Amino acid sequence: MCARRGGVATLAAAIVLVLGACGRETVPPPPPATSASPASAPPTERVVGPLSQEDARALATMNDRLKQYVELHVKLEESLPKLPKDATPLQIDKNQRMLEKLVREARATAKPGDIFTPEAQPVIKRLLATVFGGPDGKQLKSSIMDENTVVPATIKLTVNARYPDVVPLTSVPPQVLQTLPKLTEDLEYRFVGDWLILLDTHAHVVADYIDDALPK
Amino acid sequence: MRPRHLFSIALLLVWAVTGAGCRDAGIAAEATRIDGQHPSGEPTVALPNKGGSFKFAVLGDFGIAEQTQYELADQMAKLRQRFKYEIVVLVGDNLYGSERPQDFQTKFEIPYKPLLDAGVKFYASLGNHDAREQRYYKLFNMDGKLYYTFSPKSDIRFFVLESTYPVPEQIEWADKELKASGNNWKIVYFHHPLYSSGERHGSDLRLREVLEPLFVKYNVSVVLTGHDHFYERLKPQKEIAYFVVGSGGQLRKGNIDRGTGLTARGFDTDLVFMAAEIAGDEMYFNAISRTGQVVDAGVVTRRKTKP
Repeated sequence: MCARRGGVATLAAAIVLVLGACGRETVPPPPPATSASPASAPPTERVVGPLSQEDARALATMNDRLKQYVELHVKLEESLPKLPKDATPLQIDKNQRMLEKLVREARATAKPGDIFTPEAQPVIKRLLATVFGGPDGKQLKSSIMDENTVVPATIKLTVNARYPDVVPLTSVPPQVLQTLPKLTEDLEYRFVGDWLILLDTHAHVVADYIDDALPK
Repeated sequence: MRPRHLFSIALLLVWAVTGAGCRDAGIAAEATRIDGQHPSGEPTVALPNKGGSFKFAVLGDFGIAEQTQYELADQMAKLRQRFKYEIVVLVGDNLYGSERPQDFQTKFEIPYKPLLDAGVKFYASLGNHDAREQRYYKLFNMDGKLYYTFSPKSDIRFFVLESTYPVPEQIEWADKELKASGNNWKIVYFHHPLYSSGERHGSDLRLREVLEPLFVKYNVSVVLTGHDHFYERLKPQKEIAYFVVGSGGQLRKGNIDRGTGLTARGFDTDLVFMAAEIAGDEMYFNAISRTGQVVDAGVVTRRKTKP
């Protein structure tokens, strides 16, 4: 996230360009160069329904942020002793808390929206609204809310903080996972209250969140 | 009347009143019986206990480090003395609350020490209360994987799924593995029940939509789950036997909704584990309570490929 300021400026410029282009009813300009190939980013392959170019760009940018996060995560994890497949509880605990410490230190200035960018958040919300607005929406939400009784404010859920040990993980139905941009195994989408969180499953750290993501 | 006779009559009354002896399609409970010849407090073996058969136990939602969990664990150890089951399959929510090293001890290693010392292997699936790192825990035998498969005997294969986060890759993996398996017995287990009469949770319909077609298509015979904190044997669904065994430590008394029409046998007043034995085409099972009472028993006949 070290290039965040530059990224924000680029993004702002891109938004101005896009808005201007829309006003003239012309094809929007190419997406900002947030990575080598944002146009071919995988999220567009997995979402429901067609995405506008603007939405695809927003998700491509988010995907780049995800890649940056995962690169950091992998780098930090590789600096630790590799956890064997027949580990003791002590090894597991030590390894996990060391990774948590490293991640939190490396992202000490992290804030909401670093990964779920302001441009991506409405797209994610729309995708979720599409899924939950469908014929099975009520049951899908019911699956998520099964043990999801936590009010995020009451547990002080914050970016780059440890996921509370006492809060059970919400189940995320396969239909929802097929809709959201794909993640690597290091990260998972979970819901806490009506917040969609991005959980670093190895470090037990909340990497980012979107509040009010679960449609009412 | 002698106390032993009273005990036998009481057990028979339980048997009759609870309906444990009723027959469902594919499940013949008459094949087993209550045997009241054992001292009170010890689990009654109403299983064939044949030499050469494959014996295992099922446990779910257990790791709370409370007296009741330990008492059920004692029953599991007592049963093992007479019924030498080789493995215990865990249907998730293995550790509640914190998962510091001492929690692994008080919530798992201490209560099940007699079994672990006897060489019984535990094969875990993860529930919504379980940290993902449990997959690396040696005594859960997950080989670092969230979903996996193992074959304890040539004609039997278990498929272990992770149901809180069923990514498309896992569903594809399950499809491939179930298809490739030539084992007579295909048994799948995971945490969230596809069928349950739980008032608190109940059936996970969205998961059912994705998994059930695979189970039907590839001749899965038995599905074991937890999550709802009671014992329930469902009426066979599309020829598959479903069990909820989320009663290994946590208990939600009176939580079975008797109006769902799904229940073949339910028990929601005490902790329960399940013991099972596969011999040929039949799987015998007992559900045994914290006081050693057999609260359900029967036989499942495996599904066979239709010509």
